[in-house]
Amino acid sequence: MIHSTFQLPTQFGDFGGAYAPETLMASLLELEAAWIESRADASFQAELQDLLTNYAGRATPLYHARRLSEELGLELWLKREDLLHTGAHKLNNSLGQALLAKRMGKTRILAETGAGQHGVATATACALLDLECIIYMGAVDAARQRPNLLRMELLGARVEVVEHGQQTLKDAINEALRAWVGDPQAHYLLGSALGPHPFPSIVAEYQEVIGKEARAQWQAARSGQPDAIIACVGGGSNAIGIFRGFVDLQDVQLIGVEAGGEGIASGKHAARFGGGRPGILHGCESYLLQDEHGQVLPTSSISAGLDYPAVGPEHAQLHCLQRANYVSCTDSEALAGFERLARTEGILPALESSHALGWLIAKCESLAGKRVILNLSGRGDKDLDTVKQLREAQA
Amino acid sequence: MYRAEGRAGVAPYVTAGDGGLETTREVLLALDRAGAACVELGVPFSDPIADGPILQAAAQRALESGTNLKGILEMVREVRSAGCEMPIALFSYANPLYSMGWENAAKDSKRAGIDGWLVPDMIPSQAQAMRAAAEGQGLACIFFVAPTSSDERIAAAAQASQGFLYAIGRVGVTGANTLLTEETLDFLQRLRKSCDLPIGVGFGLRSADQIAAVTEHAELAIVGSAFVQRLRDAYEVNPTPSHVAAEAATYLTELQKGLRP
Ligand SMILES: Cc1ncc(COP(=O)(O)O)c(C=O)c1O
Repeated sequence: MIHSTFQLPTQFGDFGGAYAPETLMASLLELEAAWIESRADASFQAELQDLLTNYAGRATPLYHARRLSEELGLELWLKREDLLHTGAHKLNNSLGQALLAKRMGKTRILAETGAGQHGVATATACALLDLECIIYMGAVDAARQRPNLLRMELLGARVEVVEHGQQTLKDAINEALRAWVGDPQAHYLLGSALGPHPFPSIVAEYQEVIGKEARAQWQAARSGQPDAIIACVGGGSNAIGIFRGFVDLQDVQLIGVEAGGEGIASGKHAARFGGGRPGILHGCESYLLQDEHGQVLPTSSISAGLDYPAVGPEHAQLHCLQRANYVSCTDSEALAGFERLARTEGILPALESSHALGWLIAKCESLAGKRVILNLSGRGDKDLDTVKQLREAQA
Repeated sequence: MYRAEGRAGVAPYVTAGDGGLETTREVLLALDRAGAACVELGVPFSDPIADGPILQAAAQRALESGTNLKGILEMVREVRSAGCEMPIALFSYANPLYSMGWENAAKDSKRAGIDGWLVPDMIPSQAQAMRAAAEGQGLACIFFVAPTSSDERIAAAAQASQGFLYAIGRVGVTGANTLLTEETLDFLQRLRKSCDLPIGVGFGLRSADQIAAVTEHAELAIVGSAFVQRLRDAYEVNPTPSHVAAEAATYLTELQKGLRP
């Protein structure tokens, strides 16, 4: 059934929507319709569930990090998305959307990537499901996340390195959207909870599994409610995934950590709530780092996955409702988080996830004695070069 | 929204501030004198997702030379007081206008002498606030249709548009070459049936022959990337505003040869 307008709500309060060229509308409408059908299709859901369990390795553990808890004077639990196949939460969404694309009869997948984790997850899903895969990656990110570039190629994806603009995630999304405009037969497998409707809803729903599992695991392990949920926020997919599991519990604080770069005052950061205002980028209305004329500003972060000037619209809504609190963590605090988790728990976290840790370590007094779940969105193998350089620079 | 309504015309697209706003100012005056049906004045944006390499590069050059919407509107006011009469449609991605506030953007556009808005990342169902602000100031809003648009979407875009309806002649970003394929012709015929508005066709036009073919089926032939590239080439030979403006008039005249007398 071809619809001429969207069937589902496109807004998250004042945010979201579909600010899309008309040339993309047929694809977006087709996607929304297919997604709605797939949600009601028990065999589709069973197939996805099977892949998540037996291929990707769900459920991921909810792990009580005792040594770090003790050092910080609180009770810290880590949701171990770093243990998911391919090493980050991104695979939840890539498997869901790749199956959906398959169901739509698509044979080619386009995707952007920043840290390379979404690119790797998508290349993985495409290898598994026999789909052609083209990944757009900014040249700056391709250099700083080299291992992931190689992984994507080994998985059979073609990586298009984007050499204009800021050469990071934003420019990769620009290029992927342009490619999709010219190739409506392909599916664009967007990697975070942003972009035009229906992407923010689709991606959040495929990531909701993190929050649902964490809540069930918490209830099995512990009585009562956690006091706070903490996650890093790039586009916002891992954060919305875990937040959705707890958002109905009004006493549970939701804390999203943005990339503070060299500090908000320096202007070199990617803290949209810290330094942005509402704007429209990549098809949706949300908080955006922009100049007084509405031009998008360059961002800065050691973490490629957080280095993006806009944020998913559901986070903008949670911010305006004051249901979630958005804070930021600087590059050097994130590095401290990385090192601390490695030394105390034997886990190398992704630099993205290290922002959540870095903030918690810096602000642990404000959560003294509290029970905290931190979404460890990914593992840090991809970041070893960057970490080495940072450590040398600091030494 | 365009001159000589009732017969066909050529509408150049110009990236404001490519070569500096002084150049754009002279180009607009030259296009007016050379009888452009109207002009699409492009507001450079940092992230033009519907544009190909030529318009991307032009926007980047314009931004690097310090162009912004306020300055563009100031320049339009100047060309109006210098006697420029052709309709000018502001072609802007949503954010530069949204960032000013739709109401303020509409007021300032109108005051400067802008006749309408073309916003490539705006669809009618998303455009309530934009349309209310534009209508309040008597600015036309022009929406886009594509070969992939359903008949219902075409009807909705036509209903929401004033002046003309913008038909994107083919799938893809701006700039690639377009031949008048069967699909494009079918599309234009489909448009004719479902709307009474004049039709402007854009994307990929560059020669008088193409203008002749397109204007058998549409009132306005919009020439974007080819125009911007031509002005850029002229600028590289000789960057004075008068030289670039003369080239604009020459190219427009060349394209107008495709119009039936
Ligand atoms: C491990 C990891 N965490 C977090 C992110 C940020 O994305 P999001 O905010 O969508 O979770 C990325 C993005 O690449 C990532 O690789």
